[in-house]
Amino acid sequence: MRGLTAVRGTLTVDLAVPLWRTLPWRALAAAGALGLLVAGFPLVTGAEPAPWQTLMLLRGAALVGALGLAFLLDDPARHLTAPVPTPRLLRQALRVALVAPLAALWWTAVLLLTPVASRPPAGGVTLEALAVGALALAAAALAVRLTDEARPGPFVAAFLLFTAVLAPLLAPEDWALFVQADDPRWSVGHDRWAVLAAAVAVLGAGCGPEPSGRRRGR
Amino acid sequence: MSAVLVEESAPVRAPLHDRRARAVLALARFEARRLLLSVPVVIAFVAYVAWIVWRTRDSWDGHPVLQDADRATQSMPMLVGLAVLLGAARAVVRSERHGTEHHFSVLVLRPWHRMAGHALSVVPAALLTAVCVAGQFGWEALKAGAVGHGSPAELAVGPLTVLAFGALGVLVGRLTMAAFAAPLLVVVLLFVFVLGTGPSGASGLSWLAPVVATTGPDPLPSDLLGRPAAWHALYLAGAALSLALLAVAVAGGRTAAVRAGLVLSLAATVTGGILQAGGATPSKELTAARERASVHPELTCAEHGGSRYCAFPEWAPRTGTWAGVVDRVQAVAGGSAHDRPLVVRQRIDARYGPGTDAAIPALTGAGQVTVGTAWGGNRVPEFSSAVAAVLVAGSEAAGSELCDGRMVTVMWLSLSWQDDPMGALRRVRLDDSVTGSAIVLSPTDPLSMTEGQTDVVRRLLENPPAGTGARVTEHWAELTAPGVTTARVAELLGVPGPKKADSCED
Repeated sequence: MRGLTAVRGTLTVDLAVPLWRTLPWRALAAAGALGLLVAGFPLVTGAEPAPWQTLMLLRGAALVGALGLAFLLDDPARHLTAPVPTPRLLRQALRVALVAPLAALWWTAVLLLTPVASRPPAGGVTLEALAVGALALAAAALAVRLTDEARPGPFVAAFLLFTAVLAPLLAPEDWALFVQADDPRWSVGHDRWAVLAAAVAVLGAGCGPEPSGRRRGR
Repeated sequence: MSAVLVEESAPVRAPLHDRRARAVLALARFEARRLLLSVPVVIAFVAYVAWIVWRTRDSWDGHPVLQDADRATQSMPMLVGLAVLLGAARAVVRSERHGTEHHFSVLVLRPWHRMAGHALSVVPAALLTAVCVAGQFGWEALKAGAVGHGSPAELAVGPLTVLAFGALGVLVGRLTMAAFAAPLLVVVLLFVFVLGTGPSGASGLSWLAPVVATTGPDPLPSDLLGRPAAWHALYLAGAALSLALLAVAVAGGRTAAVRAGLVLSLAATVTGGILQAGGATPSKELTAARERASVHPELTCAEHGGSRYCAFPEWAPRTGTWAGVVDRVQAVAGGSAHDRPLVVRQRIDARYGPGTDAAIPALTGAGQVTVGTAWGGNRVPEFSSAVAAVLVAGSEAAGSELCDGRMVTVMWLSLSWQDDPMGALRRVRLDDSVTGSAIVLSPTDPLSMTEGQTDVVRRLLENPPAGTGARVTEHWAELTAPGVTTARVAELLGVPGPKKADSCED
């Protein structure tokens, strides 16, 4: 058992380099650049946005970043890698782990680019960004799990966009998910964001393993 | 049987370019079907139709002014357009993603022919939007209380927006050949056009946005709107066509026809853009017309039951409705007020353009009442309060200074005949309360009620003692005498008086 774990450990390290090469860099780079542009918009134009505008810019940047992450689990070689000994969950987790430091750096830059005067509490907004990023990854994992599609990225991105447009309209007002920073329900709302992020992450992880049997008709 | 044979052999004999055109149309039909049945577009259209039904059921309290109703059809098609953009871009990228690009290169259709097919495939979505817009506007126009004229150019904005967004999706898909470009573009467009504060139409640059919304509480006559709607429609149509032809040109279609079309459509876009920017600032004539309409308007007058009703020509069909309110207020009034001829004049303040909420000063002439351009809902008790105040105090200006017991008489006249007097009392007061002192809205200067007057009016409206109407006509002279106290009015009408003695200083 121990030997197997050790083998798996070295396998993981061996996998890192090829995985790094096959990550959807163009999508991630485009999303990252656009997110920085969105967040840096007031800085570039010299505008002094109101707190609600800065919050919206940050939420927009988080959405853009999540749209990039929606393409992270796209694997053109998916049907070839299905029988390899390294489980899919591990490969997907490794993809996320490879991108996570970059994403953290990127989000820090996004936060720093927004004007200090109107910046909402960093913790709360970061939690929102984490939740929407987790939602993107979970949706991608779910799409991989439920369909035979090798690159479900566009579907996931469309789903994410619709969620982003409809959720603020349809989410019950008492959930206080989309409140302003000066709202007294900000902290309660962010407890809900944390629960949401955790639930979505668990769902995403649950979709990771390859289904045990071949589906019928395939 | 022979017909079938002829049908089948026809394409073989047709010349090559004819076959190409037919193949492009077939591809466009196929892609359009796929686009309209794709999940984002279906969701967008379902949400759009649901929004139309939800909103139009009781928009403008059943009394729409059609030159405003046409603009209300513009904003939601943008969301449909974003869904169409996503779908169109995905369709363009599909062959690249699935590695079928090389297979297509052996077909009769060149890449730019296929791009033309993709560009044409967004047209049905725009047509479907046009049907929805027509449905929404037609519903408004068929309401019994509708007045005014819609503008075809304003109605065209919704479908043209969908067309332009779809063409943009095709172009972006062709330029990037990457599936992630369209969603990112959608976020940018969401930020710029939908979530943003929305262009106000004040400057020429803001008219470059697909939808320029200016909505105010008071509709204006259609010739005073001063919106370059026709140029804007030309601009949008030109932009949609340019984007589509640009996508075709990028894909290799550099024929004379495409080049000429591109030049023409770009020219249309630029012409529309420049002329709409010129129309964004009101011209001298428009400013003069607005000034005239605000100060000395040319109204058409009609007689109903002894009173004169003067309205802007577009509102002329509504004078009968106003007459109904005046008649019902006068029916409960006594003395000379019962059949005093009134002059109801429609007034607006158009000097600041549409989208502003300008206060209108009260009229000082005896027996003159102001009515606004909006109607239905709260506007009805507001107007009836103004009519009652004029009947009791003589003029609007005098009515706005009422502070003695006559205010109770005014509110009784204004509200007692309404279907839901207490609801009307609540709605006509600025703070939606039925206790305490409050401001009472009217088309011009507001009236004010003290706490004691409110208590008496509430008792009168909640449980009117039998014969209140008769007592009002019987004691009319005393009820409308200047300086009568609220306590005395309550006593005359048979309800308990106020706890505190009210005075004009309250």
